[in-house]
Amino acid sequence: MLSVLRQVLWRRRISTLWWSLGLVGFAALLALAYPTVRDNSALDKTFAGLPPGVQAALGLDPGSPLTSPVGYLNSQYFANVLPVMLLVFGIGLAAWCISGDEAAGTLELLLSNPVSRIRVAAERAGALVVLLAVLTLVSSAIMALLAPAVGLSKGVSLGQIVAATTATGLLALSFASLAFAVGAASGRRSMAISTASAVALVGFVIEGLAAQVKVLQPIREASPWHWLLGTDPLRNGLTWHAWVLPVIVSLVLFVIGTAVFARRDLS
Amino acid sequence: MSGGGVQPSIATKGLTKRFGKLTAVSELSIEVGPGEVVGFLGPNGAGKTTTIRLLMGFIRPTSGSATVLGGSAARDTAIRRRVGYLPGDFRIDPAMTGNELFSWFGELRQNYNRARIGELVERLHLEPDRAFGKLSKGNRQKIGLVQAFQHDPDVLILDEPTTGLDPLIQREFLDLIREAADRGAAVLFSSHVLPEVERVAMKLAIIREGKLVTVSPVRELLDRARHRLELRFSAPITAELFKGVPGVVEAEVRGDTATIAVDGAAGPAMEAALRGPGLLRVRSAGDDLEDLFISLYDHAPEVT
Repeated sequence: MLSVLRQVLWRRRISTLWWSLGLVGFAALLALAYPTVRDNSALDKTFAGLPPGVQAALGLDPGSPLTSPVGYLNSQYFANVLPVMLLVFGIGLAAWCISGDEAAGTLELLLSNPVSRIRVAAERAGALVVLLAVLTLVSSAIMALLAPAVGLSKGVSLGQIVAATTATGLLALSFASLAFAVGAASGRRSMAISTASAVALVGFVIEGLAAQVKVLQPIREASPWHWLLGTDPLRNGLTWHAWVLPVIVSLVLFVIGTAVFARRDLS
Repeated sequence: MSGGGVQPSIATKGLTKRFGKLTAVSELSIEVGPGEVVGFLGPNGAGKTTTIRLLMGFIRPTSGSATVLGGSAARDTAIRRRVGYLPGDFRIDPAMTGNELFSWFGELRQNYNRARIGELVERLHLEPDRAFGKLSKGNRQKIGLVQAFQHDPDVLILDEPTTGLDPLIQREFLDLIREAADRGAAVLFSSHVLPEVERVAMKLAIIREGKLVTVSPVRELLDRARHRLELRFSAPITAELFKGVPGVVEAEVRGDTATIAVDGAAGPAMEAALRGPGLLRVRSAGDDLEDLFISLYDHAPEVT
């Protein structure tokens, strides 16, 4: 059962461990630095002086200054470092699933076995979801564990930390699915990585600018960044925007990419 | 071609594959029946690997058909359970060991025969617990062979299987092919090395520029093939000796030694040599695949 999926988990066990350690290390560093930031109200004044667009890009809003738990976690973690780390991991793995394996010259050997292309695509996408979930879980756990100890849980429940981390994981899944689909459809790993990275970057910039530039506001409605940052799960928990939309987008991308992959010539 | 009534295990009919403007395979029709071993020969870029990838379903034909065990390996995964495949450039994840690969593929094929794998590992002198990336070229190829043979498939499709194998292991490999054919498997393998093919294949399919040049029994081809002989005489001779002798296409004389190339029967050339001044030695350079190609391309009618 699920031998293709399990093989990916086995193959990635060491690298996933390193990624987990990296995420734990960063979260711990961030949490341990909070007591110093909390008592430095001068920081709030500095950041309050920044243009609103820059503040929005940093994940700050007037209601939650940098020294507050919500402002600190959003601006230092959920609006940048955590999504970027999960994106790098997710996009890299997703691009490998079909196109990376194909470029390495090992996909055809797998497909000489009695497994259909659709099964390979589905099980590898499944492995992608599992590994992203593991990293999301690890990130949630370490932050939930450390927050009470450093005063980051004031006004933020553990459930909200888990919600924000999960929403970030789903954001990473959306863009990873794009990398998966482009790679599966084209067989070109570099195209998969560059397309997904470029779309993620543009989406991030639009999300930051949209606070100021009204024309961009309709566009950002279609962006996973807006589903994450616009719903502020650290305050509001996991709203349907933050999970239903990424799940639908990921599924649609998976189906399109796999449909093309099932019919095309391997390279 | 296999005898009437028996369905061929491997068959291509009018198989054509174009990549843009390039026609890699054109109107190719070959058949391999159960228990038959067919050597698939041709120069680099002739379309051997493309044909094999079409048979395996990795790429789709532009026209014509490629079937394995009566069906399409591309669509019918059950067919692939009965196929052993070795790609021309066998590679796996460098961190993976042979045993990890064998058990994974055994699971995928729902046929994990530990005893058979152990036997193959022993016969090929393979270290099954070392990471693939740390193995030499020859040892990597052995892993490829074991995964192709481990489930005793009914069809073996092997692309340049002897690449990198030392002579002792090559002999073992030829035995494996013979055993597979004896129990009824159909074997199609591409090669550049004629002496090997000649020892195990019953038929040769030769292609050039994507087109079939000939399918013939090995013996018949070898009889027709060009061969080179080195003849030493007791006294210096001239090239006149071989002039106009049937079959002799080249004659180079240096002092008392003549090197001649003969197409087909060697009889007339030998009679001519006996007319020379005391024939001392005859040495055959063996049959060269390049020469076989040349003689075929020179004489065989174009198959389209």
